[in-house]
Amino acid sequence: METAILTFLIILQIYFLAGLAFGVYFILFAKRIDPLMGNSKKVIRLLLFPGVVATWPFLIKRLFQNKNE
Amino acid sequence: MGLDYKLVLWNKHKKKYDKIFALSIVLYLVLFIVLTLLLNPEGTAETLIIRAFGSLAILMLHIILIIGPLCRLNPQFLPILYNRRHLGVSMFLAALIHGTFAIIQFHTLGNTNPIVSVFTSNLDYGSLTNFPFQVLGFLALLILFFMASTSHDFFLKNLSPKIWKGLHMMVYVAYALITLHVFLGAFQQETSLPTIGIMLVGFILVSGLHLTAAFKETKNDNIKKKKEEDGWLKVCQVREIMENRAKIFTVNQERVAIFKYQGKLSAIHNVCKHQGGPLGEGKIVDGCVTCPWHGYQYLPQNGQSPPPFTEKVATYELRVQNGWVFIKPEAFPEGTEVEPAKI
Ligand code: HEM
Ligand code: FES
Repeated sequence: METAILTFLIILQIYFLAGLAFGVYFILFAKRIDPLMGNSKKVIRLLLFPGVVATWPFLIKRLFQNKNE
Repeated sequence: MGLDYKLVLWNKHKKKYDKIFALSIVLYLVLFIVLTLLLNPEGTAETLIIRAFGSLAILMLHIILIIGPLCRLNPQFLPILYNRRHLGVSMFLAALIHGTFAIIQFHTLGNTNPIVSVFTSNLDYGSLTNFPFQVLGFLALLILFFMASTSHDFFLKNLSPKIWKGLHMMVYVAYALITLHVFLGAFQQETSLPTIGIMLVGFILVSGLHLTAAFKETKNDNIKKKKEEDGWLKVCQVREIMENRAKIFTVNQERVAIFKYQGKLSAIHNVCKHQGGPLGEGKIVDGCVTCPWHGYQYLPQNGQSPPPFTEKVATYELRVQNGWVFIKPEAFPEGTEVEPAKI
């Protein structure tokens, strides 16, 4: 039981650490993920930051889609 | 309907409702604290904060869950729906304060990492009366974090509406987890009476309203519509539709809103391009169908958002005969101009 719990928590931790790293990237290069971000105020990036940390795998997918266009 | 992203989509009504909500929250917390101090002055400040914010969060969650069906039953509640997002984020913050104080209170004394301690300080996972109920609260809080942090339109677009919707339907999972959190927790320390009251009344309201709204909609969907020979469907009488308002019908498994305005009728797909809001529950404002959820606008005769916006919904052809409204069930492509039917 304990190992299962610890594994779950470690995976969760890795997920959110990766999210934090991607969040920093987002603050700097949000435009590459969504071109509309270029026209928007910069403070919005701070507001969106927690959500980016939470959903980074989907946004990375978005990044690659934009590159291929 | 955006060319850029805004911090918050404000309007006059939203500000008014937000002020009312903020005041109610403060009032609730003050009342909770004063009453607890009067009835049970021995408790510690930490316990008071944990309970006040826990019960506040659960109260707000119930309000959030009943807004949807309430609006489907009675459009007068719609203004509250516009504010659901802000209500959701505030609810998460209240739950976060509750969870953080609980973790500080119960899990920061030892050497174990506090979050690991939430999961492992009590390993009685097989028990009913001694179940580690805080774990359920933690998992619910995690779901609420995902929802609150992605409530902005940016995520609706970039996660894709389907994933976003799926994520936000998780609120029902969170609701189940929190219900268990409170009831299993009640075995281990006396839970305050207001909380139990909120949970019971809340559950009856939430399930009752969802069922009633679903029942009402199936009834509407099943209205007998006679298929006319030439492919037109008879849906209702012109006088059943109010001026600048719509009636909603299901045609070819799609929901269609038929609007009446300035002696004319127009039909568009009922689903808003923003977050799927029910356009037929909105009004015509300044000549545009205005979504009741966040105010996206569409011209009734072609389903297009007025320039510079680019959203488009499907349109339908209508015919009026002897006071009856007929519709062609096949939709035109999104944004197709259709001559409105004269009444
Ligand atoms: C990290 C997450 C969480 C932890 C560690 C946690 C911990 C606790 C603890 C220790 C109690 C018992 C407090 C007491 O009566 O002395 C409690 C009760 C409660 N919790 Fe949580 N909780 C968490 C998340 C949540 C969430 C997300 C909600 C709801 C949105 C919630 C709602 C409640 C409610 C309504 C009570 C009963 C309060 C009362 O007795 O009046 N909790 N929780
Ligand atoms: S404006 Fe948001 S759903 Fe229509």
